[in-house]
Amino acid sequence: MIRYLVRRAGHGLLMLFGVSILLFLLFQAAPGDFLSEVKLNSQISPETMAQLRAQYGLDQSLPIRYWRWAKSSARGEFGYSFSYNAPASSLLWPRARNTLLLSVPALIISWLIAVPLGVLVAGWKGKWADRLFSGGTSALLALPDVLIALFALLIALKTGMFPVGGMTSVNAQDQGWWPWLRDLGWHMLLPVAALVVGSLAIILRHVRNSVGEVLESSYMRAAEGHGLPRYKLLFGYALPAAANPLISLFGLSVAVLLSVSLLIEVVMSWPGLGPLLLEAILARDLFVVIGAVMLSTVFLIAGNLLGDVLLYAFDPRIRRSL
Amino acid sequence: MTSGDLGLSKTEPLLRAAALSVDYDAAGGDVVRALRNLDLEIADGESIGVLGESGSGKSSLALALLHLLPRNARVVAGRVEHRGRNLAEFSSAQLREMRGGEIALISQEPALALNPVLPLRRQLADVLLAHHKLGRGAVSSRCNEMLREVGFPDPERIMRAYPHELSGGQRQRVAIAQALICRPRLLIADEPLSALDAATQAEILELLQRLKRDLRLAMLFITHNAGTLAALADNIIVMREGEVVTRGSMGKLQSSPDEYVQGMLFPEKSLAGEPGAFTPAADERPLLEVRGLSRKFVEQRMLSRRKFVVSSLMGIDLSLRPGSTVAVLGRSGSGKSTLARCLAGFETADSGDIIFRGHPEEKKGGVRRRVQMIFQDAATSINPRFTAWQVVAEPLEIAQWKTEAERAARVLALMEEVGLDPEWASRLAGEFSGGQRQRLALARALAAEPELLIMDEALSGLDMPLQAQMVRLLIHLQARHGLTYLYISHDLNFISLFAQEVIVMEAGRIVDRTTPAGLAVSTNPATRELVEASERLHAPGVEAAV
Repeated sequence: MIRYLVRRAGHGLLMLFGVSILLFLLFQAAPGDFLSEVKLNSQISPETMAQLRAQYGLDQSLPIRYWRWAKSSARGEFGYSFSYNAPASSLLWPRARNTLLLSVPALIISWLIAVPLGVLVAGWKGKWADRLFSGGTSALLALPDVLIALFALLIALKTGMFPVGGMTSVNAQDQGWWPWLRDLGWHMLLPVAALVVGSLAIILRHVRNSVGEVLESSYMRAAEGHGLPRYKLLFGYALPAAANPLISLFGLSVAVLLSVSLLIEVVMSWPGLGPLLLEAILARDLFVVIGAVMLSTVFLIAGNLLGDVLLYAFDPRIRRSL
Repeated sequence: MTSGDLGLSKTEPLLRAAALSVDYDAAGGDVVRALRNLDLEIADGESIGVLGESGSGKSSLALALLHLLPRNARVVAGRVEHRGRNLAEFSSAQLREMRGGEIALISQEPALALNPVLPLRRQLADVLLAHHKLGRGAVSSRCNEMLREVGFPDPERIMRAYPHELSGGQRQRVAIAQALICRPRLLIADEPLSALDAATQAEILELLQRLKRDLRLAMLFITHNAGTLAALADNIIVMREGEVVTRGSMGKLQSSPDEYVQGMLFPEKSLAGEPGAFTPAADERPLLEVRGLSRKFVEQRMLSRRKFVVSSLMGIDLSLRPGSTVAVLGRSGSGKSTLARCLAGFETADSGDIIFRGHPEEKKGGVRRRVQMIFQDAATSINPRFTAWQVVAEPLEIAQWKTEAERAARVLALMEEVGLDPEWASRLAGEFSGGQRQRLALARALAAEPELLIMDEALSGLDMPLQAQMVRLLIHLQARHGLTYLYISHDLNFISLFAQEVIVMEAGRIVDRTTPAGLAVSTNPATRELVEASERLHAPGVEAAV
């Protein structure tokens, strides 16, 4: 098991390496760089331009730039932000923390709702409640995430009970940690809710389908024939047997949640990676973009790794084959 | 729990079905009639056999008696009564109490009867806890005791295990333990033997007989194999297409004039008068020779540098005369299938030679086409989304055999030859029944014009009358095309009518070579085990299996 995890972590590192190379190549292929807009300013002389290019390292060849970035990453700086004149890491870390602050609770809440509900709905298969749910989740799936975020904003505006954006109130920091925490929680409420709504439907559907499939199996009928109570059949027997594909979905749901999160952060002005990434792409702030994407990749790999560990814990057949 | 808890009189039978009719809603709005007007009464301690071909409604009966029918089935008429009370009026709590507590079920596929991700301890204990409030210690000792009763000398090890760590026979024992741990009065056994090899079948049958006697258990034993009923059932119901054809003791049924009943009881009788199997010329060179064939599988486990070498075949020597039938017998895991797969070219042997018509097997494609294989389960060896036409035409198209029109004519001729209506050519393979699919697999194999046909348990999945029909077909085809058969089986059914030579395998080696007639007098322990198992499964007078 440990060897397996080490191997998977090794794969993860390789993947990060590949993603970074790909990002460099993509940026190379994209037209323009950070200084393109500066160039439009006629007051700046070509000599100054060349000086600036040298200063930002944009005059170097791609392998050298990559090497420099790799060295700086090894120092934990992840390159340099052109716009902010600061190491990219000093921008990325707080933003990443804020993104996690949204997505981790959203992930936990989504699964805590989806698993029991999905199992129950699977048990009602064919009844009206099941049809209602199918319709409901379809509608939810069809709903664009932007719309969900905008709707959340609308609620905030109309009711006036929730903050319309941001992470904390202006003076929250001065009032001690408890009011600060409450203020933060209050600000988190709508974005997390929007995230949960955005990712719930797909998880719910998968839970319902895989548990539904297991319920048709002959060992479930055998267990029913032995007179086991219904809740035990559903949660004690069907759910563990259906867990395998669901756990694989867990890793995937991290990816879905992250991408939805970036969007919702932008719409609801949550100071996470989303707005930073958007801003950096527009400004062609190379290393910030690369850092943000790399961080998302790290979250994704971590999510999948966690899924593997869970799978190992849940499925005795996998335990044996490793 | 006893029947007294329900406050019912002793005179009511344990279970009664009265004029029971069940319909299934099939896809596309069709209604399939699974049971028609069925009457059945089981008294305490009585055992009843239900005999019928596949699709005769036997399994629906088992499920209906426990009120466990799937959602797309409904009871359209009649009722099921447990000690005089209609099951339809039971609350779900009462049903739960009855299931497992009063009436228990074991089903066909032991591999599928146990939850694959839960340890057996839990699966056993949960049944007990569903019916009794017991402490940890009591549950554990009761489980231990039950596992000992079904023949496990080391219950602790079994309780720690997961289903995939046990053999088929062990799994069926655990399923029986699960069914009987609450001491029900009636056990419904739905084809409990069909998925097991003959030797294991005999062991399980013996276990059921012993438990029935010791626990004074009533039993409803559902099967397609009349032989197993002689030892177990007081009364037999013969079913066909959801209806009872006849009922009575084994003796009464044997003298029944009904053709269907006779076919169920004596599947081999229908083969009487078949042309004797082809007698091969003694001096002819062997079609296929195998010398010193060995095959190993290496397993390596996580966190362990040790490699586990599993020898599947060790030094197999074999010679097949053209036009003959050689039967390869042995328990599951004896290496029969590996041998078949090596001969058909699906697996490469580690050492040894396979010589086809005097030539070592080199030009793979050419030889492979002349050696065809039919698998145990046509449901998994044929793409269910192919039409029958596509299935049969596939080898012809791969070989680019003649013209399109000639191919078309040949497909229809082949289907007719294996007894399939050529008009069904455009049907999907998935819509065919088990027996028909096996015929389709046969037609596909014949399309390649093979000289050697390897049948890996090709008949084991079929019920007895169907097996007899297939054997008849195979004998005809052999006579007509001069085919050579390698017939792999775990039981002795039809061997004497069919094979000239018998090879018995155990643990990857050939341990006995004999003829069908020589089986009965063989002194080899592995052969004796097979013969004895077969004798226990086929009561005298019911089926002359050997």
